[in-house]
Amino acid sequence: MSGASVVLAAARADFLERVRRYSFLFTLGLALYFGYMATVGRLTLRVGDSRGIYNSAWIGGLLAVVGSTFISLAGFYFVKNTLQRDTETRVGEILAATPISRLAYILGKFASNFAVLASMIAVLALSSIVMQLVSGEDMHIHLWKLLSPFLLLSIPAMAVVAALALVFEAIPFLRGGFGNVAYFFLWTAILTVPIVTNSSIYDLSGLFLLRQSIIASHAAPAAENSFSFSLGIGPIKPAAAFRWEGIPWTAETLFSRLLLCVVALLLCVLAAALFDRFDPARGYRALRAAPAVPVLGSIPVAPPTIETKLSRLDTPAQGFRFWAVLAAEVRLMLKGQRWWWYSIAAGLLLAPALIPNADARGIVLAVAWIWPVLLWSPMGVREMRHQTYQVLFAVPHPMARQLPAVWLAGVLLATVTGSGFAFRLLLEKNLPGLFAWAIGALFIPTAALCLGVWSSSSKPFEILYTLLWYIGPMHAMPAFDFMGSAPATAATRYPLVYLALTAILFVMTLAGRKRQLLV
Amino acid sequence: MKLSIRSLSKKYSGNLWGLLDFNLELKPGVLGLLGPNGAGKSTLMRILATVTRPSSGSIHWDDLDILSSPDPLRAVLGYLPQDFGVYPHLTAYEFLEYLAAVKGLDGAAARRRINELLAVVNLADSRHRPLGGFSGGMRQRVGIAQALLNDPQLLIVDEPTAGLDPEERVRFRNLLSELSGERIVILSTHIVSDVEAVATDIAILSHGRLLSHAAPESLLASVSGKVWEVLLPSVDLPALQQRHLVSSVAHRSDGVHARVVTDSAPLPNALPLDPSLEDAYLAAIAAGRATPAGAAA
Repeated sequence: MSGASVVLAAARADFLERVRRYSFLFTLGLALYFGYMATVGRLTLRVGDSRGIYNSAWIGGLLAVVGSTFISLAGFYFVKNTLQRDTETRVGEILAATPISRLAYILGKFASNFAVLASMIAVLALSSIVMQLVSGEDMHIHLWKLLSPFLLLSIPAMAVVAALALVFEAIPFLRGGFGNVAYFFLWTAILTVPIVTNSSIYDLSGLFLLRQSIIASHAAPAAENSFSFSLGIGPIKPAAAFRWEGIPWTAETLFSRLLLCVVALLLCVLAAALFDRFDPARGYRALRAAPAVPVLGSIPVAPPTIETKLSRLDTPAQGFRFWAVLAAEVRLMLKGQRWWWYSIAAGLLLAPALIPNADARGIVLAVAWIWPVLLWSPMGVREMRHQTYQVLFAVPHPMARQLPAVWLAGVLLATVTGSGFAFRLLLEKNLPGLFAWAIGALFIPTAALCLGVWSSSSKPFEILYTLLWYIGPMHAMPAFDFMGSAPATAATRYPLVYLALTAILFVMTLAGRKRQLLV
Repeated sequence: MKLSIRSLSKKYSGNLWGLLDFNLELKPGVLGLLGPNGAGKSTLMRILATVTRPSSGSIHWDDLDILSSPDPLRAVLGYLPQDFGVYPHLTAYEFLEYLAAVKGLDGAAARRRINELLAVVNLADSRHRPLGGFSGGMRQRVGIAQALLNDPQLLIVDEPTAGLDPEERVRFRNLLSELSGERIVILSTHIVSDVEAVATDIAILSHGRLLSHAAPESLLASVSGKVWEVLLPSVDLPALQQRHLVSSVAHRSDGVHARVVTDSAPLPNALPLDPSLEDAYLAAIAAGRATPAGAAA
């Protein structure tokens, strides 16, 4: 079999495995949702107070950039599990024993990642036709103007994302939750780089290229300083619209997009170089893989000499030692953390005592409560991930004993790591602030546990929490400031909203665990 | 002490049945569960361990309905699932301590029990090593220890000797024999010799149905006078396998020595043999195959 055939075979198997899972439908649904949001005008590209007339060029440009911006975030998390799946299913060990090269394997996985992301873009492209017809502002469909932005802006971006996901999976410390959080920051950095450098060379999403094109066309007024994506804002009146005829595809712009494809291939080479080929001796996978179970065919006739007498248990297991279970859950949560983790947590705990400015203290609290994100995210997941659920769910009162202990361990972690901030509020007799903080300490572990129990994965919490944390506490937006870090939040009704949300999430957690128990 | 299973069925998606109208009554002793892959053994064990809900039927622990009130059974249950997992960053001792707390064991009693169990499963020297560094067999022994933490009256072990080396297998079999007197032990395995060594009763499952439930002697009696050894050239072996149930073959210099289970001598030179449990098991499965009743998980 030729090298290309091997790559294609690896890609096909991986792609088929993916598309036959319900999560793939969700993936396509997400792309459709982005298309819908743009169609109803809740996701717009604005230039000052105006937008382009909904002709093929504008709709193609808008949805292509929506795709490459948002799918480069959400899509990354969807595809960043292909090597992990081969590890968990142990297919990887079978593949490792075949002649397939690391590069061929990685290229196959890249092709599958890319196909998944490209199918999301294809859904967007199809919805762009619907969008133009629904909007009715310009009924003439110009296919090249409509589809070329998807092909030349989104597709190269998806190639880079597909390869980046493999690099993250190939590097041990980026495989797990840390990588999920780190990618969010990388993504925000990638979006801002072209603006900072004023160069389309680093423009992954194509947004910068689009902006430059609009500015150069002189179609819109004051475009330079007011170009933006808007989310959740109502439709702009057509009266404020201008006509734009699309990006002129010059050799330079085509080169910059082609360069992204080259970058993607280089990232694949890097991933192949870093990929451990499912070698359990490299440590990390040895911790994750379940025991191998070879069945022996024969046993010796001679009896063993080792003592196997087991005495009867003098104290029957009747009691309910909640504190022992809680202590065990806290230990389970903290186990494996290094000294430097505790040092930084301690520094963040003490810092509020030294910072006079309330806004700056709020930022410190935000950092103190992003620091343990990877300790909260396995809550409710650990039992499934490590396959201990069959034993844990077969003990008396699994709902009343173990689950509350897991939850309280998470609350304790939030309370301790955020206690420096709370102590300062207490000294200032800022009771509303303390109330908002306390709700944050309850909200975070409850959300982690709920998402963990329902998804059996730590990924949703890692992604959603980081996103919420970035929008709310880091930008002091009271509506999203679930931890009361901004001084203004305590005076709003939002702490009560988050208290209600916490209660709902807690009930949902109980329902989720009940569902797991009644399989 | 009695475990009664009545008309138990478990339906998976579509028309796939894990168990179908399963009935069994158990008293103290070791029940060996035998059956081919997909026979429904693990489904039955998960249901008995209160981890999976059946689609219909009832299970009573003495007079207690464990489907509506599983907790009293859970208090006296020890369960080692087939795909047992561990927390890789905890040591063996910490992991057992955690499960002892969840099972409700008193602190001091738990510590004594854990020390004793670690010695019995031969892990005393590795008690403070993280489980992530354990071999498959060592993890399995941790699994055996956790199942015995609460001195269970009902012990359910699914493929417990998988991954164990021969010495550890014998040690576990001896442990099971010692444990069996005052409790119900349910042992599921593919290894007939494990069952042969410890089981006081044997249940054979196929396609989610109970084919046979009997003492080992009765099972052996069912194939008494029906096991033969024949010597034949290797080229004739496929024809023999087509006509009869061949339970084992051995290639030797004078030809193939085949062990055949059939009512009458398969060839003129056939010599009668004492039946083994493996012969009885294969005969029961072959008989059951004639009337399949849907697939099982």
